[in-house]
Amino acid sequence: MSALKPGEVNLGTTIMAVQFDGGVVVGADSRTTTGAYIANRVTDKLTKIHDRIYCCRSGSAADTQAVADIVQYHMQMYTAQHGEAPTVKVAASLFQEICYQNKNNLSAGIIVAGWDERDGASVYNIPLGGSLHREPFAIGGSGSTYIYGYCDKVFRPDLSRDECIEFVKNSVSLAMTRDGSSGGVVRLAVITKDGVERQFVPGDQLPEQYVG
Amino acid sequence: MSIMEYNGSAVVAMVGKNCVAIAADKRLGQRALTVDMNFQKVFPITDRTAEERIIEPKTFSNLVSHMLYERRFGPYFVEPVIAGLDKDNKPFVGTASDNLFGMCESLWEPDLEPEELFETISQALLNAVDRDAMSGWGAVVHVITKDGVITRDLKGRMD
Amino acid sequence: MAPSMESTTGFKFDNVRRNQLLGDKGYKVPTATKTGTTIVGLIFRDGVILGADTRATAGPIVADKNCEKIHYLAPNMYCCGAGTAADTEFTTNMISSQLALHSLSTGREARVVTAMTMLKQYLFKYQGHIGAALVLGGYDVGGPHLFTIYPHGSTDKLPYVTMGSGSLAAMSVFESRWRQGMSREEGIELVKDAIEAGIFNDMGSGSNVDVCVITKGNTEYLRNYARPNERVEKEQSYKFPAGTTEFIVPRPAGVAAGEESTAMDTSA
Repeated sequence: MSALKPGEVNLGTTIMAVQFDGGVVVGADSRTTTGAYIANRVTDKLTKIHDRIYCCRSGSAADTQAVADIVQYHMQMYTAQHGEAPTVKVAASLFQEICYQNKNNLSAGIIVAGWDERDGASVYNIPLGGSLHREPFAIGGSGSTYIYGYCDKVFRPDLSRDECIEFVKNSVSLAMTRDGSSGGVVRLAVITKDGVERQFVPGDQLPEQYVG
Repeated sequence: MSIMEYNGSAVVAMVGKNCVAIAADKRLGQRALTVDMNFQKVFPITDRTAEERIIEPKTFSNLVSHMLYERRFGPYFVEPVIAGLDKDNKPFVGTASDNLFGMCESLWEPDLEPEELFETISQALLNAVDRDAMSGWGAVVHVITKDGVITRDLKGRMD
Repeated sequence: MAPSMESTTGFKFDNVRRNQLLGDKGYKVPTATKTGTTIVGLIFRDGVILGADTRATAGPIVADKNCEKIHYLAPNMYCCGAGTAADTEFTTNMISSQLALHSLSTGREARVVTAMTMLKQYLFKYQGHIGAALVLGGYDVGGPHLFTIYPHGSTDKLPYVTMGSGSLAAMSVFESRWRQGMSREEGIELVKDAIEAGIFNDMGSGSNVDVCVITKGNTEYLRNYARPNERVEKEQSYKFPAGTTEFIVPRPAGVAAGEESTAMDTSA
């Protein structure tokens, strides 16, 4: 569980995934920092792993990109060899394997979410040590600490698709206002049996909240 | 003290009009102690008249550069300066040592003839080493032209 | 001896222990030449434009006043380098040769993402010890592409990017003036202004502006596109009259220095 190396690019982040009946909503802010400088203000931290599997990356940009690239490669190989799409569980397990075996050299907190034929919608959380947790919703990154209470209060297992979108939008934008390492825009992806729908909320159209 | 100042030295190379010059002081020390007052620091790599096969200065520089980069994570403590004339007598020089930059910056100008280049490089080197306690004890200058190499031992301060 | 020390390819580590020892004894070990740099890139209507300053520094010393920081990768791809000069030079050179072999074996022009992936995987392998911060730009079957690559191996894909110590100054120019679908002339002018912002406001950047314009099937390398720091002509020549420097004739054999010296005639 190494800390960030000097000069390393950080995804001081807010990431989130919520499961609903028939799909998942994943969301993230868009800020990438090197120290105090914003190296990228429109980053896409939602990375496609397979047709209906996405991951949200937090921690070191280099580490999480490298791990995601490796998993992406293996999921493509899996599809070619088995003739069918991998389940979210398969992808999440491979993420865990890599994160756990290399825990001393990586700083990566990853949320894997998606939809598959076997389990339907599912959300997996892989925090820093490399453990794996299936949860109805997951939050991660430096900004998530500010919204645990809000999320626990608002989340219900029976949230609809549109309610989940609002839930993610509200939660991520709340974290963005309180966490200096999170900010920019909110990026969303809704993953269902029918495919992936990407959404984008510009910084000036975020939900309104108390700003002092 | 930096390891680069352990032996103490001053080397420089300059481009002239169809010629290049390379020069070095003669002192070799161990920190402040002078061990050798006539130490060779300039070495001929190829002599276009004596060797049958010659290597271009640019090629040789690339070779040295790769040899040093191979030791990227455990370097040799050397800063070589390479000077030579290529096929078309186009001059080519490497880099010069830090404390000589000032002298060279003011004294050097483009298109110096061989004899002018000799005076310029000599004065740059001598004036630089006179203000450096760890270098000196005379110097040697080689001016490479298409007709041959002029080598001269400079009279410098012996302190 | 460990097997890694016997390898004949790649990096050699046999001086590491010696240098560590010297470092521990209190000798300061020299640092590699860094390029305190401003490098930028942007996408315009017909392709990408890369830009760089030309100053190389070794600590406070300007090691080179007109170095080249825009490196060749392939005919349709160039790469600006910031960070450790040797690392950017050798890394881009090596990837360039691998790209050449790759396009020879596939019979196709190499794609920019291929170069980006090769660079990020190479840099990630060395965990940031290879100090190359790059701006990669090119034009391939998918159109124009622009990436930044950090020493630890992370990458970003953006329509306009800056890197190096002057990146903040250059980014302020881009953030206020970059627009979608700029013309070639507008693009070059904006890149020039961004680099000049670095040259004039960042101590680590200086000298001239290099520009490289890559469009479909065409690459134009504009070396020293702008020279905002032309040295004024010296008012006085410091040329020494022949015979100023005293030297010894004939050349002393071996040791003797200073005995049979003859001053040149300085009366001329």
